Amino acid sequence: MSDDGFRPGRYRRQDESPPPPQRVTDEVIMRFEHVYEVDPALMGRHFAQQDMPAWDTRRIVAARWDHLDDVHREFADGITLAGEGPDVEG
Amino acid sequence: MTLAATTIDEGVLDELRAILGEDGAVLTGAAARLNRARVPAPFPVHRWAQYVPDVVVLPRSAQQVSEIIKLANRQRIPVVPRAGGTGLADGAVPLRGGILLDVKRMDQIKEIDLADRTVTVGPGINMQTLNRRLKPHGVMYPDDPASYACSLVGGRIGTSGFSLLGARYGHTRDLVISFEIVLPTGEIIEVGDGGARKVRKSSTGYHLKQLFMGHQGTLGVVTEATLELVPRAETEFAAFFLFEDYDTAYRTFGEIARSGLATLAGVVIFDPEKVAYLRRDDEAYLSQPAWVHAVTAAALYGTKVEVQAASKVIMALGRRLGGKYIGDEISSGDWAARHDRYANPLHGRTSDGRVVPMSWHCEDAALPYSQLPAIQREWHAIAARYVSEYEIFDDWGMFAYTNGAHKPWADVLVEIDMGLWEERLDEAGWRAFVSLKREIGQATLAHGGSLTACHGSTREGDAELVPVEMGASWEVVKQIKRTLDPLNILNPGKQMLDEAYTDQETTA
Repeated sequence: MSDDGFRPGRYRRQDESPPPPQRVTDEVIMRFEHVYEVDPALMGRHFAQQDMPAWDTRRIVAARWDHLDDVHREFADGITLAGEGPDVEG
Repeated sequence: MTLAATTIDEGVLDELRAILGEDGAVLTGAAARLNRARVPAPFPVHRWAQYVPDVVVLPRSAQQVSEIIKLANRQRIPVVPRAGGTGLADGAVPLRGGILLDVKRMDQIKEIDLADRTVTVGPGINMQTLNRRLKPHGVMYPDDPASYACSLVGGRIGTSGFSLLGARYGHTRDLVISFEIVLPTGEIIEVGDGGARKVRKSSTGYHLKQLFMGHQGTLGVVTEATLELVPRAETEFAAFFLFEDYDTAYRTFGEIARSGLATLAGVVIFDPEKVAYLRRDDEAYLSQPAWVHAVTAAALYGTKVEVQAASKVIMALGRRLGGKYIGDEISSGDWAARHDRYANPLHGRTSDGRVVPMSWHCEDAALPYSQLPAIQREWHAIAARYVSEYEIFDDWGMFAYTNGAHKPWADVLVEIDMGLWEERLDEAGWRAFVSLKREIGQATLAHGGSLTACHGSTREGDAELVPVEMGASWEVVKQIKRTLDPLNILNPGKQMLDEAYTDQETTA
């Protein structure tokens, strides 16, 4: 078991509050690294915002990576990479 | 919405129940009918009830399909075949009610032949499901549309689908070796390249497979297909390159497409409007420098020794005119995200930046490579007029993709993605949408293109341009339709084919 303080069966809501958002652009915020969100102020009545615990965001992100891994495996047994980072910094 | 009760009488329903012989195979409830009326593309939701079939049937065999169609001919009831219902035109949308023939129960894998490298399936099987069954055998069926996880083999044949790996492995028409089809009068035939079920190349008779490929449900119901098996690729490679301007990205696209690399599966280009759209909401592009206005990407599949060598060529070509590599992480991740358009909830923006739910309109065409810059400007100019005049549209940008199976160096699949705010749709908005489609189609024809590379010209707006594109051969098309479907039973009202019956009494 990891030593990050996780204890099965123990849930404390205050430990699961997402970090405060950082503004990325005029229209986008970020609460978790590389997890971008459209500014909730722009979402209006059509996309009601919910109070999502941090573990649920992490679960969705992990599921996304699982999905991408699955797609890689659909038609090929491995991935060849150029072995290079980006030519430019963002 | 008020949904009319089925107009098919109880005697016909009893006959359908007798043909199918099991509970739950003849459905007349509102949910079963409403859910099979539309497809993911924008839909006239304010007139939804006009597109609802009278009854849904779920056959399991070609013989049952044949008996259903013979009954429909006797009673002059339209029949609309439907597979996954994931199409981006209206091939599977009933225009005149009738019997909706859903093939989802015909989803068996009937034979895996590793000696002759074929797999024989029912039309209701999904490619992802099929490939997961094939994987232990070291083979795959490489038909890879954006709808990979949800579309079905029958629909792929019905639309003559486009595969994102088409440059390497071919598109649906190349990957389907032969198929069984129930004709509009109920006869069951097999079509291929000649008459043999597992032969890829023949000079016997007419090549009827290609006549029925892309039939859009107007020439029959596919009940079995024999498909190509290819060796699973040892590895894949994808690289995305960033550009300051569209023209340089376009020329880089052309150089990679003409590279002659046998493992090249596809090349794609995103235009400035697409990059702006992605920069708005997509995690891969939010962090890109402001000077990035276009992207060109390429993917390879094959053995390690081939792909590793070819990847070095791609890296050199991608940078030769000034492209900047986006990096391994985003390249591999973005390539794996190529099916996202069918998985993500869609939203667009109003002119003041508010987020609103929008359905996804994707207008496609096939065009010569040389025409791409001009058509890119013209389509956006058309879209801009409608976006400014109507609050219900949003321009989500354009992309182009290598189109030729095994021959990626020439014509391109071109698509413009647009959002349409269906909640605000009324008849004026729908007429504007149809007019938008028609203008885009007219521009395509003016540049020597074909109205559609993969979706089919089955919706209002471009359907009426089909005779224009077909020219003198339109007369032959009408004769074929009338000969095979003398009462216009199969999917009536599509692609202007009603013109084949102007002097006859039909279901229409």
